[in-house]
Amino acid sequence: MNYQLTRFAIIIFVIAVPGVLVIFPIGNFFLMSFWQMENNQIVKIFSFSNYLYFFSSPAYWGTFLSTLYLCLKVSVIGVLVGYPVAYFIWKRKGWLKYLLILLFILPLFMSYIVKIYTMRAILDLSGILNKLLVAIHILQEPSRQFIYNQTAILITMVVIFLPFIILPIFLSLERIPKNLVNASSDLGAGTLTTLRHIILPLSLPGTISGALFTFVLALGDFVTPQMVGGPNGFTFSRVIWSQFGLAYNWPLGAALGVILFTTALFIIISAGLASQQSKV
Amino acid sequence: MYKINTERLIDIFLAVITAGTFLVLYMPIVVNSIFSLVPSDRKGIHWEEASFEWYWRLFENESVISAIKATLLIGVIAVVIATFLAIILALYVEWEGAVFRRTIELLVYFPFLMPPIITGLSLLMYFDRIGIPRGEITIIIGHTALVLAVLYRLVLTRLRAMQYTLVEASADLGATRLQTFRYVVWPQLRPAVITGSVLAMAISFDETLITVFLAGDTTTIPLRLWGMMRVGFKPEINALVTIVLLVSFIMAIIAAIRLKSPEGNEE
Repeated sequence: MNYQLTRFAIIIFVIAVPGVLVIFPIGNFFLMSFWQMENNQIVKIFSFSNYLYFFSSPAYWGTFLSTLYLCLKVSVIGVLVGYPVAYFIWKRKGWLKYLLILLFILPLFMSYIVKIYTMRAILDLSGILNKLLVAIHILQEPSRQFIYNQTAILITMVVIFLPFIILPIFLSLERIPKNLVNASSDLGAGTLTTLRHIILPLSLPGTISGALFTFVLALGDFVTPQMVGGPNGFTFSRVIWSQFGLAYNWPLGAALGVILFTTALFIIISAGLASQQSKV
Repeated sequence: MYKINTERLIDIFLAVITAGTFLVLYMPIVVNSIFSLVPSDRKGIHWEEASFEWYWRLFENESVISAIKATLLIGVIAVVIATFLAIILALYVEWEGAVFRRTIELLVYFPFLMPPIITGLSLLMYFDRIGIPRGEITIIIGHTALVLAVLYRLVLTRLRAMQYTLVEASADLGATRLQTFRYVVWPQLRPAVITGSVLAMAISFDETLITVFLAGDTTTIPLRLWGMMRVGFKPEINALVTIVLLVSFIMAIIAAIRLKSPEGNEE
């Protein structure tokens, strides 16, 4: 009798936890996106006006599209840099391999806000990057093109999110059976041939899912655009964030959030499908 | 001869990219630590005046001290609650054959997979609706939702590696369910729970994007840093930053070593 009661309590509890932490907040968030703001008050009348507003104002969907493009660039540059790094680490042997991968993951745990802050100092007019470029005569004088614009956001995001792309690529390389690689070289294939016909195809699903997760991270980041983007560095998440701050329009913020949510969900599902395609 | 040369060249090329990436990843961290010790101004860097002065000044700053206290308190409470929830959820899902197993798992991972801005704003609007004022409690709930995924994953993996016959044997010998948990299950789970807690603590310590929605007047270290940076650059910030980096670094190293070693082996 007592046991039955405990069991029932546990079932309720197990369902209640995700309910309270996820289902209710997300449900409420969807509901809010259909409400309106009138005279600084939230009016609970159901309508699609927030969504219509988004699709009818080029400023909003233009920012949305340019943000998607920015995130694409972050992911592509991330893979172009991250793949060679992951491959190099994977080729090392014994403890060196694990030490290296650890060193490349550690920055993930090193204060996100601090990284943005230092990137701003590095990219600034009087920053290290400009000093370096002037010193090696690439630039005649310090340039403002690296700070307070979309380029600054791109560079900062790539630096911050790179470990997120190196790790999944490394893990998918680790899963490739060593005998496939050995067989390839026994049959006379060089490094490049093996890379092209064995390693690249087998690590592709992991690479794609890593790139997609990085895309989602870049999509949801609103601090980087605010810190290094300056007045011109608006991204979609920064627009959403402003609805909960100065602009104070929660229903519109919620509607824009739903659009972000749907996009992110679509990408995460794609990433899940990509990693299921893995052949090893 | 030709082939060996190409392979060497590829290797050198990759090594250069890797070294370059390493420098870029660590540059923000190193630059910060240097400037917290060495004063600099428009005229340049004054290497000879290096000191720990800014560190001492930091500890006289009331608002910084209270931010540190709040961050640690929030982290510890969130991790304890999340650990408790993770163990119950994992035991239920793995051994009791939960009805909505897939759904529950998906919901547990949800705040971790979704962009933090979604978790942040949905919790903000929800708390506003049910009338919980923003502050430590709302941050704790947000952090609990976030780190639950990590703890759940680690506990579940450990549980899967454990033999259920041990539990049956314990029950056959007359142990109550609580005794079985205390003497059979818990010792098996403990390494995973410790690793998970350290990892979760590191995540909570650094969490910004969810926290900023839920904080109200409460300030955590990341929020405090963000605020200080808007105002301007001071060596004091660099000192705080270096301490923050050091703490995160130590927690990450502990978690990494534990994940690699056989007692804490998870994934």
